[in-house]
Amino acid sequence: MTRFHGKPRHRELLHGRVHLWLEERKRGDGPSLLLLHGLGESGADWNDEVKTWPGAVYALDFMGHGRSGRLAGGAYTVELLAGDADVALAQIGPAAVAGRGLGAYAALLLAGGRPDEIPAALLLPGPGLAGGGAVPDFDADPTLVLDDPEPPASDGIRSEVCVDRRALRWFDQDIRPVDYAHEFAAAATRLLLVEDGSAAPPWWKTIRSSPTVNLLGGASMAEGLLALQLALG
Amino acid sequence: MPIAAPQYPGAVAPERTRFVHADGAELHVHEWGDPEAVPVVCCHGMFDHGRGFDCLAPLLSDRFRIIALDARGHGDSSWSHAYNWPIDLMDIGYVLRDLGRPAHLIGHSKGGGQVTDAATIFRDAVRQIVNIDGFGPPDDAGFGPPQMTSGATTVPERFTIFLDRRRRTARDRRWRVYPDLDDLVERRRAQNPRLSKPWLRYFAYHGARQVENGWIWKVDPLIATGFGPFKPQWIGPNWKHLRAPMLAMIGSEPDTWGPIPEPTRLKRLSHVPQVEHAVIQDAGHFSHMEQPQAVADVVLAFLER
Repeated sequence: MTRFHGKPRHRELLHGRVHLWLEERKRGDGPSLLLLHGLGESGADWNDEVKTWPGAVYALDFMGHGRSGRLAGGAYTVELLAGDADVALAQIGPAAVAGRGLGAYAALLLAGGRPDEIPAALLLPGPGLAGGGAVPDFDADPTLVLDDPEPPASDGIRSEVCVDRRALRWFDQDIRPVDYAHEFAAAATRLLLVEDGSAAPPWWKTIRSSPTVNLLGGASMAEGLLALQLALG
Repeated sequence: MPIAAPQYPGAVAPERTRFVHADGAELHVHEWGDPEAVPVVCCHGMFDHGRGFDCLAPLLSDRFRIIALDARGHGDSSWSHAYNWPIDLMDIGYVLRDLGRPAHLIGHSKGGGQVTDAATIFRDAVRQIVNIDGFGPPDDAGFGPPQMTSGATTVPERFTIFLDRRRRTARDRRWRVYPDLDDLVERRRAQNPRLSKPWLRYFAYHGARQVENGWIWKVDPLIATGFGPFKPQWIGPNWKHLRAPMLAMIGSEPDTWGPIPEPTRLKRLSHVPQVEHAVIQDAGHFSHMEQPQAVADVVLAFLER
């Protein structure tokens, strides 16, 4: 299901039964760019630097974030978020991807799962980059999720930007061993890692040595986007 | 024309049914036995439903309150936005919370893996667990029954299939309509040839719905998109955090969906602090359906210890 709205242009997408909000930030004749935000953020949080991109730019709100619907059950996984992004990719066609924080991990999975549709992905530090870590923390208490107030039932697009508190809680505990990330990095076509000096989680350190990875030490967002353009040839 | 509910020797319909509220779903539960007795929560396998315990439950209900759950999207529980492994674990948490007292857990296949994982999370709410052939796929296999495998070997390749299924399912989410209940029986028997036609007719009747021009499965077709890839080698290490003793049960006979190679199963179970093993003779993957009395004897001995 796709519906076009008036300006600014939006598309409503359906992933399973969750409605997703995809905003077209700009148009252009060059290659398309899909933006994947960090944990607790939304597509509205990308700054205007993305407008320097020569082609069309799309900003997705992951499920449980922004104006997209929430996930009934509350147990969000990064694979489901990458599935959100894949639904967007199916709509807009092959695209470069830029992901921040948790969105960087989703971008990694998508780049490894769709190497023919993603020529390159830019991974940026940001909220949720570490996820729940590489090993379980059995001092944490997932039962707290059951205690969170259940958000009102809402399948559809939200009228205002918000975040499902259960998503924040769950992604703090959702673990992925580092070798998982390594396999996706090896399967991707090209990955650009922006390193700003902040502490990198184990999965990030593991994929640094992958032959598909280029490191961009100290690069700004604008410099990262420029490198992404160059990577597309 | 509506047909009468099939009967099956030893199968007893639930004494009570009700719904337990979970986040975004109403979970249908079937109950047998004294409501004041120690509870035993039973969790079924993929594409099955709670009535699969109709033969085992009455053999345990003199001693225990048996609660068989229709997992989210299965049986008469409501359908959901999406499905994954941890959502099912949280649903088990909702049922445990509803009971308000520690319970034993019995799970078969997918349900066996889930009651085991749930027991690592809800450690204060679980007494003992019985895992019936729910020890995950072989190390070299992806998640999914044989007819859903694709030859993909790497995790990213399996992830591509996961994504492809989700794109496809977004276009078409309907099960086909079978002209007759017996067509459903034959469909299921092709997958599980050890299960008898009379039992499958009983089981399929409760797992399907009669519509204008035939029968359709009750289970949500969205579940066929799968839970996403994972590495089977991850199964086991987390089980070292189990406090609840486990009875690890398999059937003696090779079957479509199990058991996995013994070295793999024993390696995973080596992480469980307290484990006992049981092999049910003349049973395959569905021990509790094929040999309910033998399973009940072993389970009662384990739970009453």
